[in-house]
Amino acid sequence: MILKRTIPLLIVFGIGVLAFMQDYVPHPWSTAFRDEMTTWTMVIGGFAMFLGLYSLSHMHITKIRRKMPGWGYSIFVFIGAVGMIAVYILGDTIGPLYAGTANKKSLFDWGYEYILVPCSATVFSILAFFMASAAFRTFRARNLAAGLLLAAAIIVMFGRVPVSENVSLRLFGDGMVIPNLSKAIMDYPNLAAKRGIMLGIALGMISQSMRILLGIERSYMGGGD
Amino acid sequence: MSDYPQADDIQAGATKRRKAIEMGALALLVVAFMIVSLIRQNPFAKGADPAKAIGVIVAAGLTLIMYSFLYRDNPLFKIGENLYVGVSLGYTAVITWRDFLRPLVYQPLFEAPTAAALRNSLLHLTVPVILGIVLLARISRKHGWVSRYSYALMIGWGAGVAIPLFTNSYILQQLTAAVKPLQEAAGAQAVAAPPAFSQAWLFGVAGPIFGALVAMIGTVAVLFYFFFSVEHKRFGSAVSKLGIWFLMVSFGASFGFTVMGRLSLLIGRVNFLLHDWLNIPVK
Amino acid sequence: MTTNPGRPRHYELTRRIIFVLVALAVILPYFSGRQQPFTPSPEVRKVFEKVDGLSPGDHLFIPIDYDPSSEAELYPMCLSLLRHCFKKGVIPIVMTLWPTSVGIAKQGCDEAAADANSMFGKKVVSGKDYVFLGFRPGVQNLILKMGDNLKGAFDKDYYNQPTQGMKALAGVNSLKDIKLLVDLAAMGTVEWWIAYGTDRAGIPMATGTTAVMAPDLYPFYQSNQLIGFLGGLRGAADYEKLLKIPGRGERGMLAQSATHVLIILLILGANIRIFAGRLLRKKEGLS
Repeated sequence: MILKRTIPLLIVFGIGVLAFMQDYVPHPWSTAFRDEMTTWTMVIGGFAMFLGLYSLSHMHITKIRRKMPGWGYSIFVFIGAVGMIAVYILGDTIGPLYAGTANKKSLFDWGYEYILVPCSATVFSILAFFMASAAFRTFRARNLAAGLLLAAAIIVMFGRVPVSENVSLRLFGDGMVIPNLSKAIMDYPNLAAKRGIMLGIALGMISQSMRILLGIERSYMGGGD
Repeated sequence: MSDYPQADDIQAGATKRRKAIEMGALALLVVAFMIVSLIRQNPFAKGADPAKAIGVIVAAGLTLIMYSFLYRDNPLFKIGENLYVGVSLGYTAVITWRDFLRPLVYQPLFEAPTAAALRNSLLHLTVPVILGIVLLARISRKHGWVSRYSYALMIGWGAGVAIPLFTNSYILQQLTAAVKPLQEAAGAQAVAAPPAFSQAWLFGVAGPIFGALVAMIGTVAVLFYFFFSVEHKRFGSAVSKLGIWFLMVSFGASFGFTVMGRLSLLIGRVNFLLHDWLNIPVK
Repeated sequence: MTTNPGRPRHYELTRRIIFVLVALAVILPYFSGRQQPFTPSPEVRKVFEKVDGLSPGDHLFIPIDYDPSSEAELYPMCLSLLRHCFKKGVIPIVMTLWPTSVGIAKQGCDEAAADANSMFGKKVVSGKDYVFLGFRPGVQNLILKMGDNLKGAFDKDYYNQPTQGMKALAGVNSLKDIKLLVDLAAMGTVEWWIAYGTDRAGIPMATGTTAVMAPDLYPFYQSNQLIGFLGGLRGAADYEKLLKIPGRGERGMLAQSATHVLIILLILGANIRIFAGRLLRKKEGLS
């Protein structure tokens, strides 16, 4: 229990208090401590990347091993992963594609630019279609609050695009009326709400940090006390 | 099995027919894609960059495969999705070695140029490397508790550093900014003293004061809405309702921007297909 | 066509029609060739004027904190910013907090460096006219470290060249020596750069973000923790217009207008239909 719980909690408290104080102490020891700790946390944080890689690999290996539904597709995960690692290890000059050209891009960069980038960009762009369909289906002004949301959304959506300046010019004789109305919504009520939310979150994060330092919050330790 | 076996047979037949039509359409689309790609991006043409041409064809193919999800979930989409996950995994693994392990751990410890440099590396890196390896014990159910030491250090440091920085940047500076427009407007009134209801007064004094008051009242109302320790009765209920209205306007604005963001991603992809793949020039 | 037997048949049909309309609203403007005039917003203008006011040899720090999923909005901003730096002789220092952003950051540096030659007749060289530091783990801790010792955080750049003695980093020991920081972000790094980086170092900061994140920036803009920001593709278009070098941002504005108008009409149409139906039912109930 002392090794499993007490000492880690003491480490959290001790390091946390020193971390808090170093911001207010201009002594060179304080700066040296901060420099050392940032190096340590960068190195330890880097090892955490292995956990992510392991977790994803383990999930797909388990899926293949147990022949779970859709296990065949998990093979493509390893085809992609091993392929990228292989082209990096084998270096820049694989294949006749690069022989004799002044191409400074490696096959590794090629894989990133022509496989990872289009897949990643496309998957998120699909949301545009579903968002349009959902907006048509569900965006209803059922009450005052929903009506306010709808009105603000329409004014901001319209005010942010160039066509609003044309329309504004024709309707009001000044091309900036609708864009300025959109800007006013962002500058005042939006600012107020976002600031209120930010203050609440900041207070929550500070209290959560204090709970961690004082050992009240221990979820980071994992289970199995 | 339903009470109407003939209806089941008709349904099964219809499904088979639909699948046959879909496979036929898919085959046609693949052939059409290859023909169009070879015409617009011929990697064997004189002066062509074969790596770029093949890359654009592969990228366009993957883009269209991903968009096939709009019709319905299908095996091609699943293959593309898993390939993307795999390439991302491989890419991150390489970056982990190239931009973390090699420069921060391997080179200082195993390729130190001088004995003094090696001593310096051992002094500064021994403990974090050991703690980093210990962090990986999280994978083991039996010995995972050892990783708590690494987490304790990181979490303790992070929490301790965050308190003064968050207090300054997210609370004090924000509270100052909430009051500052009122101070500035009052200053402008005191210094310039423009005539009341003139344009200078409206835009230099009244406007900023009104805007700052709206923002301050809204901020307080929103904060009060989220304050659940006190029951929202009578005056509290009115303030809470005002907070909801501000939140609704803000969410509406956020929705507007979200629409813009999602559509921009689609515009970017369509631009790639038309400009880079099909080589249709921009007018 | 439908995989969900619980949904009415017209649900799928309406969905497909909307998909087709959205696709047409994006594709057709590409062929029209029309450019819509627009006025750059004050938030973008302030960023442009700040960069434009830098002197040759000043350093502009550009963290690239977006991954390929947001490249449509942020890559045009990255290109415009780098082109502006090369045009002015300002030295951009590019790095990233995320491993998946390394490739896209390098792509931006390479393309902008090639453009510097064709657009301004300048041959820019890595290590001399700009530096791409690459990625290191640590996120907030990396920002803290760069605030004290930039070359300690990155002892080598992406191309494995030592940063000590590098011409592009002459006079830069920490973030305090930077004239301006512009974070191009699709993830929640803007707040971290403000708290851990620029507020501590006392340097001005601007940001370019996806449109989704832009509404959250207004408190920082009003408090002057951000001198300005570029929000989404419109922000990229505004910057391109001010720089007078058109790119994907400006080209996308007509499609942006068309799609926004379509979405607004869909929402209004659906609401008018519901309200008209309610009014009719009320009238029938009364009569």
